[in-house]
Amino acid sequence: MRRVVITGIGLVTPIGSGKEVFWKNLIEGRHGISDVTLFDTSAYRVHRGGQIHNFQLGDFLPDVDPGLFARATQFALAATQLALDDAGLDAETLPQQATGVSMGTTSGEPNLIESFNDRYVEDALGQVPTHFNERYPCHNIPAYVASHYGLTGTTPTMIPTACAAGNYAIAHGFDQIATGLADVMVVGGADAFSRITYTGFARLMAISPDLCRPFDRARKGMIPGEGSGVLILESLEGARRRRATILAEVMGCGLSCDAFHMTGSHPEGRGAVRAMQKALAESRINPEDVDYISAHGTGTKSNDLNETLSVKKVFGDDAYRVPISSIKSILGHTMGAASVIEAAACALAISRSVIPPTINLEEADPACDLDYVPNQARDVNVRIAMNNAYAFGGNNASVILKRLEDVH
Amino acid sequence: MNRRVVITGRAVLSPLGDSAQALHEGLCAGKNQYLPVGEFETGSLQGFRAMEIKGFSPMDYLGDKNFRPLDRIGRFAVTAAFLALNDAGLSPEQVSDREVGLFLGTVFCGLSTIMEFDRKSLTVGPKYAKPMDFANTVINAAAGQTAVWNNLQGVNTTVATGSTSSLNAIIAATASIRCGRADALLAGGAEALCFESAFTYFRGGMLAFNGQDAGHPVPFDRQRNGFALGEGAALLMLEERESARARGATILGEIKSSATGYDPSRGTNPEQGARALSHTLSRTLQAASLKPAGVDAICASANGSQLGDRIEADALYAVFGDELPAVTAPKAVLGETLGAGGAIQAIVALESMARGKLPGIAGYTDSNTGLPESALGAHNKKQDIHKALLSSVAYDGGCAALLLEGGCQ
Repeated sequence: MRRVVITGIGLVTPIGSGKEVFWKNLIEGRHGISDVTLFDTSAYRVHRGGQIHNFQLGDFLPDVDPGLFARATQFALAATQLALDDAGLDAETLPQQATGVSMGTTSGEPNLIESFNDRYVEDALGQVPTHFNERYPCHNIPAYVASHYGLTGTTPTMIPTACAAGNYAIAHGFDQIATGLADVMVVGGADAFSRITYTGFARLMAISPDLCRPFDRARKGMIPGEGSGVLILESLEGARRRRATILAEVMGCGLSCDAFHMTGSHPEGRGAVRAMQKALAESRINPEDVDYISAHGTGTKSNDLNETLSVKKVFGDDAYRVPISSIKSILGHTMGAASVIEAAACALAISRSVIPPTINLEEADPACDLDYVPNQARDVNVRIAMNNAYAFGGNNASVILKRLEDVH
Repeated sequence: MNRRVVITGRAVLSPLGDSAQALHEGLCAGKNQYLPVGEFETGSLQGFRAMEIKGFSPMDYLGDKNFRPLDRIGRFAVTAAFLALNDAGLSPEQVSDREVGLFLGTVFCGLSTIMEFDRKSLTVGPKYAKPMDFANTVINAAAGQTAVWNNLQGVNTTVATGSTSSLNAIIAATASIRCGRADALLAGGAEALCFESAFTYFRGGMLAFNGQDAGHPVPFDRQRNGFALGEGAALLMLEERESARARGATILGEIKSSATGYDPSRGTNPEQGARALSHTLSRTLQAASLKPAGVDAICASANGSQLGDRIEADALYAVFGDELPAVTAPKAVLGETLGAGGAIQAIVALESMARGKLPGIAGYTDSNTGLPESALGAHNKKQDIHKALLSSVAYDGGCAALLLEGGCQ
């Protein structure tokens, strides 16, 4: 089994694109929540979202015709370019035949469904573009990325495991490198703002009318968002050979399913607990070795209580020691991109020894009595970080990252 | 890394029947019977024909339960998982204790559910969209439902790579077992026909039954003019070999090696496409230290697409030349089952090994692909098959290959 490291980060998020802008806004706690303008929200009781305003693919890939790609694919292409730049790689220096792409998403390209339906209800299906099936099926997001950079090492793979999809994509990329099927993997997540997702969460009464307040007693729900995060994974020896800057090592992954309910989590946190336990076991570490937990932290009551309970079950008394924060308080919930963006935040926390805060946390719910790093970033020597993500379908995924100098 | 991965169970739901035996017999009967569909309106799709599973009811398998939370693909996947676990002889306690997981391939998952959910909100307002349907709009809905209904507490991965999805899912599950992350995984795929996928393929000009031509979706055949759509589900029960032996499981076959690849021209440049697939096939053989002559039969993904079949034929010829072993192509009868296709190929290969008989390519007369005619043909071939190679290429560039060995322990 080969060891796997992160050598590049690319981010397109509601608080900005590129890891430096992202990190500055993150540790200063400047949120990216605004009024939704991509579609008309007047029929909804809520109107706020983590929408990315003024995105132009040309700012990242000036030679690409943006008209060829739907919104989530555009985010993924932009984030990949940023990640490759960060890793010091390009189409020339990448080992194209030994590089693959795996990504996660919740909805793929829902905007294409919406435009199909806009025509359907007007009895104008004859106007549906003939290229619908070249762009809609979700695997096209990693496929367009692979085509753009000529990456043929694996089949470009979409792991659409909803809001845990990013961590699943990291695990898939990890497996490819660990077992020698690829030397470099572009792993990421991408989702575009959509009236379908917005409608769904609105119908579940899960959307906050103003801000996202994880673990706060005045919480009102989650904030749907959009964006893309991409990490460049390489084998440790490959990264060392080309003298790449190594941001963190991916130690292990734990994946599980509640097998309990499609939209609600298991009341005893069964699957979340197993995911964390498996990740710790695969990483060959104990709970006391973990310096930071990046929470799923959506801002719903159910998530706050379940996640707090699950961490206590796995960490015991140590749960009160280890800092936990939710950057969804700052970004909103970027869906399939969320856990990759959060993994990037973990890698940055490791390399910069700062933990991003949970903002909007004025008075914690009495049932949420852990250290959620309220409102202010904190200087902590983070050697090992655990990134947790949970999703519809009962999916749970924990990924553990480590600062490389400490390894073995 | 010497953990070996064996197949200890399988399940298939197809228009030819709900067992590997019925599937194999139906393919050997060699009749393609593409018919108008009954599950949705196709008035605007002139001459549309497909291979639909007629009269499917999960109640026939799972008893009298409330199936309303499941859409069509969810019903397929839930039922196939139930049948595969039974076939493997795993009790509910074993399924729970061993934390059986799932890798499910799909292209569209619940496309019609997603479409209808959005249409409801568009026509009568968001507050009329049903929360229960929202759960099925995520692309991992079928996999999640399958876990809920069958208590699959292990990893639950949906794999989307286009029409190679279920072969990619089997390959990804195999890697997961080899890594030591799991011991027992269901792997395969599912797809359900619906108006929206039928319409968009029809409109994209990819179908054999396109309102103009007679419709000849025959793999590798000179007269082929596109593919027909199908539907179904197929799952393999994969286990780490020592744990399978320890519980006394029947071993149906072993996954010897695999590879995946990609044609960055997305199927538009046949030379690049053939190179990507032949490279994938060669890597698969190399990984098993097997020469091309060691392959006894090939189960291909060809579906009647003019360009796609040519790419697959050129790749096979590049690897095997005139010594090409016998080739079967289940999509001749089943149509393009998208997310289920690769796993159906695997089940056809396993059953052909067990019976010493490889189904012919239904409707095939002759080819313009340059492949040796001795390897093709509509007739069934009686022969010993120890090692079978699965080849899969998607119309948009994905390539996957897998080498199976028959059930000797």
